[in-house]
Amino acid sequence: MQEIKKLNVKVPQAYLDFMNQIFEIEKKISYLSEENSISRNINKIKGLLEEEFFKSASTLGFSYHNPLGEDYSETRTDCEATIAGEGTENLEIIEVIKPIIYISYYEFDKIMKSIVQPAVVIVKTRNI
Amino acid sequence: MESTINFGIDLGTTNSAIAKFVKGEVVIFSNPQDYGRNTLPSVVSYRKDKIIVGNKAKEFLEKDPKSVVGVFKRKMGTTESFKIKSINESKTPIELSAQVLKELKTFVNTGDNLDSTVLTIPASFDTIQSNATKEAGLQAGFKQVVLLQEPIAASLAYANMKKERELKDGQWLVYDLGGGTFDVALIKINEGEMKVLDHEGDNFLGGADFDNMIVEKILIPKIIQEYSFTNLEEEMKSASGKYNAKYYVLLRRAEEAKITLSSKTSAEIVIDGFEDEEGNEVDMEIVITRSEFNELIKQNIDGTIDMIKKIITRNSLKPNDIQFTLMVGGSTYIPYVRTRVEEVLQIPVNCEIDPTTAVAIGAAYYAATKPKEANKDGLPKKDTSISIKASYNKASKEKEELFAARITGNVENLSYRIVRQDGGYDSGLKKLSDRINEDLPLVDGAYNFFTLTVYDSQNNIIETDLEPIGINSGFGISGQPIPEDICLEVDDLDNPGRTRLKLIFQKNSILPLRSSTISFPLNKGMIKGNEADYIFINILEGSQHSLPEANKGIGFMEIYGTQLTRDVAKGSDIEISIAISESRDITINAYLNMADQEFKQTFNPKARHTPIEFLKEQVIDLSNKLEEEIQEATDNEDFETAATLNKLKKEMDQVNSDTENLTNDDVTDKRYQLEDKKRKIAQEIDAATKDKRIQQVKAHYYEIKDDCLKMLDDHGNDHERKTFNDIIAQEVAFFATNSPMKIQEKSDELSSIASRIRWRTPNFLKGVFSWCKNNQTRMNDQSQAKSLIDAGNFAIESENWERLAEINSGLLNLLPKGAEKEATTRIGFGL
Repeated sequence: MQEIKKLNVKVPQAYLDFMNQIFEIEKKISYLSEENSISRNINKIKGLLEEEFFKSASTLGFSYHNPLGEDYSETRTDCEATIAGEGTENLEIIEVIKPIIYISYYEFDKIMKSIVQPAVVIVKTRNI
Repeated sequence: MESTINFGIDLGTTNSAIAKFVKGEVVIFSNPQDYGRNTLPSVVSYRKDKIIVGNKAKEFLEKDPKSVVGVFKRKMGTTESFKIKSINESKTPIELSAQVLKELKTFVNTGDNLDSTVLTIPASFDTIQSNATKEAGLQAGFKQVVLLQEPIAASLAYANMKKERELKDGQWLVYDLGGGTFDVALIKINEGEMKVLDHEGDNFLGGADFDNMIVEKILIPKIIQEYSFTNLEEEMKSASGKYNAKYYVLLRRAEEAKITLSSKTSAEIVIDGFEDEEGNEVDMEIVITRSEFNELIKQNIDGTIDMIKKIITRNSLKPNDIQFTLMVGGSTYIPYVRTRVEEVLQIPVNCEIDPTTAVAIGAAYYAATKPKEANKDGLPKKDTSISIKASYNKASKEKEELFAARITGNVENLSYRIVRQDGGYDSGLKKLSDRINEDLPLVDGAYNFFTLTVYDSQNNIIETDLEPIGINSGFGISGQPIPEDICLEVDDLDNPGRTRLKLIFQKNSILPLRSSTISFPLNKGMIKGNEADYIFINILEGSQHSLPEANKGIGFMEIYGTQLTRDVAKGSDIEISIAISESRDITINAYLNMADQEFKQTFNPKARHTPIEFLKEQVIDLSNKLEEEIQEATDNEDFETAATLNKLKKEMDQVNSDTENLTNDDVTDKRYQLEDKKRKIAQEIDAATKDKRIQQVKAHYYEIKDDCLKMLDDHGNDHERKTFNDIIAQEVAFFATNSPMKIQEKSDELSSIASRIRWRTPNFLKGVFSWCKNNQTRMNDQSQAKSLIDAGNFAIESENWERLAEINSGLLNLLPKGAEKEATTRIGFGL
């Protein structure tokens, strides 16, 4: 069987903390209705982090994903969940404390992603 | 084959870990499903079709206790068994422990055949409990299981870290406070033999209790103080409570704060995102100090100390009979636990070993001294190899993709597991059958690789012939490549007044495409309401190495002063992003930072957008350029080129007069024809003069290269030398592109190396400084200029060149706009 190379990187905690902060800001802005389009600046920062800041021959950068509202099951190892409420079936992510952070890197000419921080989430049975 | 056991397993009540002794050191295997964490929660979950062990099982422990089991270690050796609702079967603590052990086997990535191990047990385990643990090891497929008491394992880890295999005779305590259990043991060493003399413990005390206390005793009271809630605590803790989800958020925050308090003296907890009963938004920051936290857990810690006192009294010891208290378990990271235990008992605490992995590490050291028993059964290995035929879409834009496989061979008692390479998906261990179907979740915009591994009943890997499962969820699956480069026309800073191309999408990129945002400073200001002020954004299709005029315009957007909500200054940023859909619609999105305005336009290339005004401008530019080239070729006595260009001139003149005759509202397709003609002429000019331009840039390149080399020899450092050599190594390649722009780019890179070095050379810095001094009168802030110049004189005297460089840049900043450039060209540092 052919082996898949698994990316083995140790990302300094400060980078992750930095990404988590950007995520927090983005989360807070979503509650505001503001005229200064702060979200544009956030998107720009995210773009820089994803494509420019940590650019090297093999890596591209960091990006995050907010899994709010997505389905949750025990096969999702990209999230660390705490179950709220009574049920354990048909779970939905209702709160995201930390997002999923990926590192993108090149393998040959393909862009690959690897998780460097799983999300920390609260999940609950979906109201039908 | 190795002759000693070498593997050690800490089969803990709450967490387990596996380590191996390799050439004098112990390596601890990390949990492949848990981002480098070394431990596996000792929790097992049963589903209809699979068994899950570890973190994912733990998440369901509290809410689905009928199918998920934890802390079964406490029941080892009893006849009690756990009824599992989902599979309608009962599982014994031995079977559950065996599942944890089997899962730990999958951590081992060294290709070892795990047939023997050391397993640790609490000091309190009696013979029956110990035998039960051994049985669990055998059920997990180990042929040889050696037991070791946890406090001894921790002590061994300490002894080996100290490189003192033979510890002095004496006694010490092992204080083990983990996530959910507490144990303390008295260890005696006598002539090299280590023995547990006494022990005590509390099966219901650990770090999780501390998190709970923070929420109950600090956070909830403070929230109630500020906001109106009638029954917040109950609404939070009851599963059907209104704020149940918030309770878990608070627990997480409390845990973070607890960890912070181990290294800092205070921690903040932000509480927000819900409303109180009067509709007020809860938004508060609660600061917890270390002393508050200490006060909170004091009673619990004192409880553990009382147990130690009992041991001491029972064994008729005095505190100074005990050498130290060895701290083990994650909760001993808490400073208060360390100081309180030391303070009350007057016995020094020892925190030198990693408290979370010490037991597994000690077990591995012990394993290295235990010989392996010969393979008793001696039977040849069964040929269990099986063949898997898989079918799935190799490219998908769905969130999930169905994976189906047919298995040939004997699948009895085998199981399989599929994991995604980035660590984001784990199917869990499932029973293998002749056919399997699995929905695999995909990460958008990337290649997703999955591995399917088949295990036997004891979690040994069975070879299969299946290749890794690769599914592309990137952009452009089954999309079409673009036939030419797509570029943006930008100002050519090296040739004022000219433009060049900036590559946005490379030829053969797959549609749809979306560029990252490109920022440029505006080269001119625009006044609100002024129609004469405008910006053009021009997207061209064609080789990135040719002249802008030679390429086909496919998207063109104008922004006029009349559209602005405020004036924008020269030098303020414009952000441009470009997207091309699968149906080739081109969308230009431009954003003016200063005005905070966004402009968006979508083009369908079938209806080409060519404003006549812009065409006229281009035609004039091109004919001027042609004139210049003819003149230059004639001057250089390059008559061949001159003749070619003169021939073009006739066509150019025709295009010129035709364009001039076009009215601005011409509706015929004449403008497109003229544009095509213009483009063809530009291509021909490009071809005829390319040699010349290449010669020029090459000459320029060599000049800069020499200069840079000289600077490097005299003042360069290794890093700069490496950057230089990297560029030189590509020389053949970028010369071969025959692209003046590419070569120019490399010249720029070299000259930036040279200028970086130059900024460190005393002579240059002195030169800049004296130029600034001469221009002092023009500086914006005279008093600051004067103090900088004084400082500069001093820096020269004391030969502090770093300081001088800082002063120079300070001085240059004081110059009026534009004068700075003057300095740049005059002194010759291309910054």
